[in-house]
Amino acid sequence: MDAGILGYGLYLPYYRIKISEIALIWGKNPGDIERSLGISEKTVASFDEDAVTMAYQASLMALARADISANSIEAVMVGSESHPYAVNPTSTILGEFLGVKNAYLATDLEFACKAGTTAMISLSGLISGRMISTALAVGSDCAQAKPHDILEYTASSGAAAFILGRKEKSIAEILAVTSYSSDTPDFWRRDGVRFPTHGGRFTGEPAYFSHVESCGKMLLEKSGFKPADFRFCVLHMPNGKFPREAAKRLGFTKEQYRTSMIVEEIGNPYTASSLIGLAAVLDKAKSGDLIFLVSYGSGAGSDGLILRVTAKINKKSRESSFQQQKSGKKYISYTDYLKFRGKI
Amino acid sequence: MISPVKIWRNQKKIREVLNQSGKIISFTRVFMPPAGFENQAPYAVVLVKLASGRNYIAQLVDFEEKHLKIGQKVITVLRRTRSPSEEGIIPYGVKFKPL
Amino acid sequence: MKDINILAGATSSFGELWGVSPRKLVSDVTAEALKESGIKRHEIEAIFVGNMLSSSLGSQDHLGAFFSEELGLDVPAVKIEAACASGGMAVHTACLAVLSGQYETVLVVGVEKMTDHKPEEVASALMAAGTDGEREAGATFPTLYALIARAHMAKYATTELQMAAVSVKNHFHASLNSHAQFKNPITEEMVLKSPVVASPLKILDCSPITDGAASLILSRRKSGGKNIAITASEAATDSLGLAQRESLTSLKAAAEAAKKAYRSAGILPNDINVAEVHDCFSIAEIIAMEDLSFFTKGTAAKNIASGMTRLGGKGIIVNTSGGLKAAGHPVGATGVKQVVEILQQLKGISGAKQVSGAKIGLTHNVGGSGATAVVHILKK
Repeated sequence: MDAGILGYGLYLPYYRIKISEIALIWGKNPGDIERSLGISEKTVASFDEDAVTMAYQASLMALARADISANSIEAVMVGSESHPYAVNPTSTILGEFLGVKNAYLATDLEFACKAGTTAMISLSGLISGRMISTALAVGSDCAQAKPHDILEYTASSGAAAFILGRKEKSIAEILAVTSYSSDTPDFWRRDGVRFPTHGGRFTGEPAYFSHVESCGKMLLEKSGFKPADFRFCVLHMPNGKFPREAAKRLGFTKEQYRTSMIVEEIGNPYTASSLIGLAAVLDKAKSGDLIFLVSYGSGAGSDGLILRVTAKINKKSRESSFQQQKSGKKYISYTDYLKFRGKI
Repeated sequence: MISPVKIWRNQKKIREVLNQSGKIISFTRVFMPPAGFENQAPYAVVLVKLASGRNYIAQLVDFEEKHLKIGQKVITVLRRTRSPSEEGIIPYGVKFKPL
Repeated sequence: MKDINILAGATSSFGELWGVSPRKLVSDVTAEALKESGIKRHEIEAIFVGNMLSSSLGSQDHLGAFFSEELGLDVPAVKIEAACASGGMAVHTACLAVLSGQYETVLVVGVEKMTDHKPEEVASALMAAGTDGEREAGATFPTLYALIARAHMAKYATTELQMAAVSVKNHFHASLNSHAQFKNPITEEMVLKSPVVASPLKILDCSPITDGAASLILSRRKSGGKNIAITASEAATDSLGLAQRESLTSLKAAAEAAKKAYRSAGILPNDINVAEVHDCFSIAEIIAMEDLSFFTKGTAAKNIASGMTRLGGKGIIVNTSGGLKAAGHPVGATGVKQVVEILQQLKGISGAKQVSGAKIGLTHNVGGSGATAVVHILKK
């Protein structure tokens, strides 16, 4: 493999809703919900935001941090399960606003919450194969959930963008990649239907855990690393409980996954979940650190990546992207939440 | 339905004003919106002098009360502007956010 | 400029005229003007129609032909559009037509039918007078004038109370105008307490949505009785949108048109006895008084509030019709109605709202947020 991350950025909407606010509306005990899900609040996109606008803001940050101009991008891939159009690419709307010139490969990806990591893997392949030298991978979602459904507490909005290039220029090089796929109907949305449907407890062991654990084990075997070799572990975070349990089963400690657990404060922004976790980790990483990342997308599959942070990370701006994005925030009521998400 | 050709022609102009900083020179809160903007009301509209020298009018979003004042530093961000019809192309444009 | 004589002028009632069509509005005001002028219908050689919203709200363009048919006159006819200055522009164009020598006597009619649609739709249609950027921002005309008001308040310490005083004066004048939409007197407190439309402008700072029409018959010939003439007809334009203006606290187009008009008429601003100015919003009258050089910049608000421009006041008496705020603002008709009001003042037939000894009058009609301005000066 000859690919790595040149720069990264993320975007979080300004608005938040507390889990307790939602629980009280439905007559539930807020403490019970917060404890069982391991989340206290989630991000809410405004009525004028969508996967395109958030992808744009995250990509701006990534370009600035990578210190490259948009016209050196040769491929753009955006993963989302809330692309604004069923037919019309998010990736070229994004490319146009960023100022990427026309000689680039663009495509949109969908694979529930793992489309962003799949974009990363695909582009790394193109870069390693010397088809292109620089690319943009984005995971961006404005997640929707049916009122009163358990997903209402966790489905949130956000975006993360990664500029990828040759490993010699990168702040983190990709050492190993695996992927584990199956046909497992744990969570889906039919075309034209507004809200997704899920299989309740079926989304646990047979879906999330089976794929994350299998992919994670494959990644360790293939790479020859042991859990203790890694400074950071980043897993897809559908809630605050699942990733902790999966990390433990794979042999990781709380110290290793603590930094990536962004779900507690922002909820689950679907394709941006593990990618924002990765951004939060890169904010704190030092040269030589190993990062273990396994995403999960319902339907189902997991992508695994191992990254090693390079000396170049010290040269770049050290201002924490995650801290900066999550600091400006405003809490809204459940009715405002419904207004913003167009449910009323 | 808004003409997709018009949207396409205008989107080329949007890039010129994206990610630009400026200062508010006047502001107002709109409580009675025109047709098509009902679900957004109330919202703030500001006239801004961009660093490039030109003035630009757009909504102010993601702000606290204290930001709605003459002289406030702002930056442009990409947002949906007009409400798209059910089948039409989605118009994107520029709004302001406090710096 | 050679004087253009006004043989007659008439206005309809202004208001929510649910049962009255644009055809009836125009045919009635034309019949009234013809009667007053004493001329025969066939002596009209051309028709100039001032209107803004016929196509966006009524799906009807080609208003020249529409009304020439209605009036039974197969003469050259055309619609003139300049947003809220359509009426004034129609008068200006009619003046040019007479001055050209090609037509001796012409009819100007301003007409607007606004109540066939909901207020939000009308507000949206009116924004065709602004820029695409303003429409994209979700701006309405109250929004644009609110931005102007905020800037004027920041620069000159103009207050909401002073703006309210403009509406109070105009409602008082309208209470004496049988054709006005709102004949009820109001107080400053009522204005300040009315719902906010676009801060700092409240409902009672804003002109309403109105149906109405007004007509004028202009001619090279003098009229039989007291001859009132248009002695200056000037127009100017500025940028379409607020963002491109040099100043937010003055309408350059209005100041330009006024300067040209005073020069053309050979008079000074304070020679004017009575004026109809474009108070689409209370702040607009304050700024108009400064643009027209009736008051120096930053002093109009307090002078208006002190009663100088109210019937019985010491200064130029402004908006005896009730202005746009209280008489109503049927967009295309306003500019024509303003000339009719001054015509009647100079003829001495304004009844309870008569300004005694009025000899020279001025009308000021603005399109959009100041992109077009038309100024007329009339004299006895």
